This record gives sequence, structure tokens and C-alpha cells, in this order.
Amino acid sequence: MAVTTIAKPHRGLARFLHRLRHGRDSAQRQFVFGSVSPMVLYMTFFTLFPMIWGLALAFFEYSARRSGGPILGLGGDNPFVGLQHFRNMLNFAPDAPLEIRQFHISIKTTTIFAFLIVPLNLAITLPLAVLIESVHKRLKGIFRTFFFLPVLAPSVGVALMWGWIYHPQRGLLNAIRTAIGGKLVATNWTGDQSLTFLGIPVALLAVIVAYLWQDMGYNLVIFIAALQGIPESIKDAARIDGANWWQMFTRVNLPLLKPTIMLASVLTMIDSFKVFDIIQVMTEGGPNEQTRVLVLDIYNNAFRFQRMGWAAAVSFVLFVVVMAISIVQARLLRTEWEY
Amino acid sequence: MTSATLTKPSLMHRMRYRINLAYFILIPASIVAALPFLWMILGSFKSGREIRKIPPTFFPEEYTLENYQTIFQEEDLPLDLFYRNSAIIAIANVVQVLFTSSLFGYIFAKFEFRGKALLFWFIMATMIIPSQVMMIPGYLILARLKLINKLWGLIVPAAIDAFGIFLFRQFSLSIPNELLDAARVDGASEFRIFRSIVLHQLRPALATFGMLTFMFNWNAYLWPLIVLTEQKVRTLPIILTWYSNMHADQMHLTMAASVLVVLPVLLVFLFTQRWIVHGITLTGLK
Repeated sequence: MAVTTIAKPHRGLARFLHRLRHGRDSAQRQFVFGSVSPMVLYMTFFTLFPMIWGLALAFFEYSARRSGGPILGLGGDNPFVGLQHFRNMLNFAPDAPLEIRQFHISIKTTTIFAFLIVPLNLAITLPLAVLIESVHKRLKGIFRTFFFLPVLAPSVGVALMWGWIYHPQRGLLNAIRTAIGGKLVATNWTGDQSLTFLGIPVALLAVIVAYLWQDMGYNLVIFIAALQGIPESIKDAARIDGANWWQMFTRVNLPLLKPTIMLASVLTMIDSFKVFDIIQVMTEGGPNEQTRVLVLDIYNNAFRFQRMGWAAAVSFVLFVVVMAISIVQARLLRTEWEY
Repeated sequence: MTSATLTKPSLMHRMRYRINLAYFILIPASIVAALPFLWMILGSFKSGREIRKIPPTFFPEEYTLENYQTIFQEEDLPLDLFYRNSAIIAIANVVQVLFTSSLFGYIFAKFEFRGKALLFWFIMATMIIPSQVMMIPGYLILARLKLINKLWGLIVPAAIDAFGIFLFRQFSLSIPNELLDAARVDGASEFRIFRSIVLHQLRPALATFGMLTFMFNWNAYLWPLIVLTEQKVRTLPIILTWYSNMHADQMHLTMAASVLVVLPVLLVFLFTQRWIVHGITLTGLK
């Protein structure tokens, strides 16, 4: 008896709460379902589907100009070639077809590009960040903005600006050299294939300088923020121990910045493997393919020569490279640093 | 630090020395860094005759606005149209990306539903895939949807930004559940809660990520180059390279055109760079 008298209002309350919560639950469920299901449909069509299509294309001899088979134009005039594209990539014979040799050139060029960009970028941005961090607070912001400015400019504009610096007759660089040497020089920085420096084509170095100029602002602000995150107490301790600025840099700043430097290097490297804008505008891959990079190779093959199957295979290689760097990054960053 | 420097004059001396050295490097470095901008701006004020001089002059012998007048009168180059194209695409994408990123970021942070982990994992995985890998199938899809050479072609496939969802999920996690429950008790609908409370809490992140998205869209080159092949729908970066190729021998004109394309937006970004820098340092995003 006692149980029912106590349980009755309880049950009523429970039912009330349940209804309230259930109503709530279904409102929340509606909200989530109503938002997530269109997203899933959208991503299936605009993300998952093109991923699969792009991968499939790499196994066909495909051109959008030919109508091909019933499913996505694959098959028929756009025949299935299996792993042929990937096998062709390993054809290192000197008489291999042009697009294969161009692919080899672009792999090599992109690798040189990326492996030069990262150390050069760090060699400039790290000391620059420390220097900017050391000046008066008000000027700090001004300097940071100043070096960050090129990041905000469209890369097309950057490419044109550097084109006018490198111009053989009317460029600023040759003008400065003429003024210093007193003798007219007209070096064709981005167009003379015979020029090399330490075995690297000068044209490639020229685009590297332009790319560095635009790109370094990113790492600079990241490093400045990281330096500001180093506790004052550690810096004070080092100073009281009589550390000079070089010891401060190598023994305090660099070790404490290590995780940030790792992350920044990986991001910079991934980005430089995807370089396109500056090179397409400045050199179009020339002279004599000396600045031909992977994305330029993909773009030219797919959209200028309609070799979309081959271009899809090359994009797959780019994907694998970026993926590999990301995995290395995940490995490196798994270690936890603390201070 | 101040007390330490005050009690140790030698230390203060060393600090002073280091700071002086810093200016000694920073000021010349800034000048070098500014040279490409300066060269372009100065060149845009030189006459066609002066620009052909060998060796070239640094400062114009005579400042002229002729180049700008020529560009504004050029019928092939309706700059207002290209500004409009760029602005439509950039603004539309900022609006939709901010909406979807905050909505789904919030949902991933605060709700449980079947398949959530898998879906989130998939979205994160798409971040590693270079956009260049998607451009061939992306083009073929747009061609079938008849969206090539349409501004819509740059808007329709750009509604979801994986990184944005990730970012707003992180920010939404810190919104107190009590706040959301209080609104529920008050009878607010779920969408109303998102609109009035969540978006309000996410405002700083919306401003930062909005600026980054705008900048990214405004400066984009490769994808618009593929999708927009007709002159009238093109965006500023593509028009600039087209114009520069047309007038390869008239550097004074291309320099003035570049000033018109690069500088206005650079000024806007300059005033908002605090947010952009904040966004980059916060996220490591490029």
C-alpha cells in the first residue's frame, strides 16, 4: 500500500519528466538529423564522389572531349588501361614519351623546390622572429605587419612584382648590379637556361626567392607567437645565468620552439609541394622545363592537353607525397613537449 | 625582468646592445622586403617613355597618372565587373562557409548521433587531401552541372570547409551546457539556440575565420582559372595575368593595373590583419 501511495506521484512526475525530456530529445534529434543529413548528401556528392572518380580516372586513358562509355564517360573511347600510367612513370628510358619525361622533371624540380624552401624559410624567419620579439612593444607590431604584408597579397600580384625585379633590361635587380658595377648587365634571371648556381637552375632559384618572400610571413607570426609563449621566468633565469644572445637563441628559444618549428616545417613543405600560382605566372615552367613543378604538370596535362587520365595518375602521386609528409608529421608531433 | 635589469646594470647594458643590433638588421631588412611593392608603385607613375629607359630609373623623373587613365578608359578591361565577380564569390563563400562550419562544429561538439565518429573522421581525413587532386573530377562534375563559366561554379562546391568544422568544434566545446539547457527550459527551439546563443559565443572565431576565408577566396587563382574561361565571369587575379600577357611590352600599364588590383585589398587586409594573424597563430592554418 505504502509503495503505491508513494510511487503514484513519483510515476506521474517521472512521466512528466519523461515527456518533457522526450519532447526535447526529439527536437534535438530533429535538429541534428535536419542539419547533418543534407551535409552527408552534399559531401557524398562533392567530396566522396570526386575522390573516387579522381582515383578511377588514373586507371583510364581519359579525355573529356571523347564521349566514352555510359558510366561517367569511362570505357569505350576512354579505355581502361589498368596500372599502365603508373608503370609508365617508372619508364626512365631517355626515349620515353614526352609526358613521362616531363613527369620525372616535375617530380625532381618540386622536390628540390620544397627541400630548399623549408631550410631557407626557417633560416630567415627564426632569427627574424627573435629580433622582432626583442624590440620595443609598439615597433614589434609594425615590423610584424610589415613582413606579413606579402602574405596578404594575391600570389599572382607577387609573381608579377618579382617579374619586374628580374626583368633583364628594365628590372630592378640588374639596375642595382649595373649601378654598383658601372657596367651594363642584362642577366635573364628567369629565362636563361644556361645559368646555374651550385647545380641548381637560376630560374628555379628566382622563383624560390619570390615564393619565400610571399610565404615567410606565416611562419614569422607563428614563431613570434610561440616566442611570446615562452615563460618570462625561463628567459630571466637564462639571463641571470649570464647567457648572451646567441646562447639565448640556441639554448633557450630553439629547444623550446622545437614543436612549433617541426609543425611549421611540415606545413611549409606540404605547401611547397603544391606550388603553382607563382611559377605559372612567372615562368610557365620554363626555361626548358627548369621550373616545371607537379601541379603545373597536372594542370597542363589535364586542361591544356586533355590527358586527364594521366594527369589523374600524377595527382595521385602528389596525394601520396602529401600523405607521406602528413604521416611523418603525425609521428613527430606525437611526442609531447611541455614546459 | 625590470627589477633584475635595474639591479644589474651590466645586464641592462647587454640588453640595450642586443636591441640596437636588432634595429640594425630589421630596418634594412624591412626596406628590402618592401622593394617589390615600391618598385611596382613607382613604376606605375612612370611614363611609357621612361619605363623603356636602360638602365631604368628608380624614382620617376616625372610622376604621371596617364597609365591609370589609360586603364580606366580601356574597354577590354571593365575593372568594376571583375571587382564585382571577385566580391560575389568571396562574400558568398564566406557566408556559407561560416554558416556550415559553425553549425556543424557546434553539432559535433554538443550532440551525440549515430555515425558521428565516422563522419568526423571522414571530414578530418579530407583535410589531408590536396585540393589539386580534386580539380579534375571537380571540373568534370561542374561541366555536367553546366556550371563552367558561371560564378555559381565557384560557390556551389565550396559550401563545406573541413578545417572550419574542426575549428568551430574546438570553440563550441567551451560553450557551457548550462547555457544551452537554460535556453531549452525557456522554450527556445534548437535552431534558435544555435542562432542566438551559439553564434554569439563564437563571434571572435567567426570574425577571424571569416577574414581568412575571404582572403583565400579573393586571392585564389588555380581553381577559378579552370572554371572561369570566359572573360566576363573572370576574377581579378586571372584578369591581371591576362592583362599582363596582353601588354607584356608595356610594363607601366601592367604595373598600374597591378596596383589597382593588389593595393585596395591589401589595405583592407591591413586593417583586419590582426584577425588574420590571430587566426594563423591560433590554428597554424595556411
